[in-house]
Amino acid sequence: MESEVVRTEMVLAPSLPFKKVQTADKYPKGQSRGRQWKHLRHLLQAADASTMPPDRPNYLNIQSPPSIYPSKRYCDITGFEAPYMDPRTKLRYADPEVFKQIRTLPDEYVQRYLALRNAAVILR
Amino acid sequence: MTGGSGVVVIDNGGGLLKAGFGGDKDPIAVVPNCMAKPPGGNTKKWLVADQLQADDVDVTGMTLKRPIDRGYLINTEVQREVWERVVRNLLQVDPSNSSLLLVEPMFNPPALQHTADELVFEEFGFNSLCVADAPSLVHLYEASHQPTRFRAQCSLVVDCGFSFTHASPVLQNFILNYGVRRMDLGGKALTNYLKELVSYRSLNVMDETLLIDDAKEKLCFVSMDVPGDLRRARLSFKDNPFRCSYILPDGITYKKGFVKNMDEALRYCSLPLDQESDRKDHSVETNKFEDRKKPELSQNEFALTNERFLVPEMLFHPIDLGINQAGLAECIVRAVQACHPYLQPVLFESIILTGGSTLFPRFTERLERELRPLVPDDYQVKIIRQENPILGAWRGGSILASSPDFESMCVTKSEYEEMGSARCRRRFFH
Repeated sequence: MESEVVRTEMVLAPSLPFKKVQTADKYPKGQSRGRQWKHLRHLLQAADASTMPPDRPNYLNIQSPPSIYPSKRYCDITGFEAPYMDPRTKLRYADPEVFKQIRTLPDEYVQRYLALRNAAVILR
Repeated sequence: MTGGSGVVVIDNGGGLLKAGFGGDKDPIAVVPNCMAKPPGGNTKKWLVADQLQADDVDVTGMTLKRPIDRGYLINTEVQREVWERVVRNLLQVDPSNSSLLLVEPMFNPPALQHTADELVFEEFGFNSLCVADAPSLVHLYEASHQPTRFRAQCSLVVDCGFSFTHASPVLQNFILNYGVRRMDLGGKALTNYLKELVSYRSLNVMDETLLIDDAKEKLCFVSMDVPGDLRRARLSFKDNPFRCSYILPDGITYKKGFVKNMDEALRYCSLPLDQESDRKDHSVETNKFEDRKKPELSQNEFALTNERFLVPEMLFHPIDLGINQAGLAECIVRAVQACHPYLQPVLFESIILTGGSTLFPRFTERLERELRPLVPDDYQVKIIRQENPILGAWRGGSILASSPDFESMCVTKSEYEEMGSARCRRRFFH
């Protein structure tokens, strides 16, 4: 007897008083749900940080602050230490050989190399 | 069924999902938390979790779907498939008569807490749920194993995982949440960076996330002296102590990628840690002049040199990657400085490293070297890495689940059905 009671509960989705829309109504059985999830970015925008008390920690304000140390410079092509920067393409390079290579690169590739270290110029 | 406690413990990581029973020492399943599909339109079937780990699976060009984005459970559809597989096939339990201890990321937005509750209670029908966070579980595990070390009942847990890195002060099993600092860098970002570097420099591997993951785990290490190592990495072929190649699977003889010559790959370990003996190295190298020849690179392998240490280097200096955040050492210092001054010396003395990305060789030594100059010199700096950084949080969860007052910490299904997610969550101080 006991087990049968439990089973009927499993078949009939419980109606939850705290919900405006019941899950069973929102997604009827046998139908595909499609894409029902949102990106984290949207969720964070929805949970607007400006409405929260500023002294309470949340996702946005626990972010590690910018470093107080300067960045090291690595060659964009080879990865070695780069003492030089090409003023035209803004690529960093390690030695003259790499420089020759850089000057033969089409602009599109230059931008991709820059994008590797998030330094690409994005024109909108 | 082992365990017998009836408590399922799931550490729902972005990279690996750890699941088992409370009270056990080790989880039963440590599986990738994702679904994958082989390339080509003819197969519709997605491989879920442990099916990806099988020996005869060729991971080349797999399309991946992950339920977790930047550490937060976003896609419950995918997560349900993975849990379904783990709970029913690997753990073989009936959720309706077991409790669940779920490890959730810190500062989970309420919207995501609700969807997680929905998944646990409405889709799976677990009997009761307890939510915990990784740092306090790690602290619990370490404090119960080495009670003498953590007499002060507080520690700074540095969790360097797949999606992000947190430095969180823990006091008496509770996180001091005003002290937590996050760095948006983890194993995933490092794999992607290595993938880009290899693709730009030798072979296009942009679709081979799983292979590069494997290459990263086997070949990357943390450099103790970056400028010196860069100089050494410039030497050509045979003299180069870092050069090694990784062979990609060809689908016929090899189903998995592997390191071509492991001895060669580990040569860096024998290098001296300081710059002074650089000159000695050169004399040894000239002896080997005769067997120097150009190694032939076949189609399906790529060579790594300076990438091997420049990739983990990003954790210490994210600014090099264009991410304007402080590195790990600075992050730790700021987390500690946010706490009460009396706590600070104790926190510096009990830093616990956990998470898969701390497995890079020499990670601890390097962190200590970076941290020392930033810490007042009358404080001691002691860093320990967990014995098994991947399972650390799960093991803590297992201890918590087998403690006598675990039941009282849970929210039961009937409570959820009556009061809803938001009210129930208050029990976990959310």
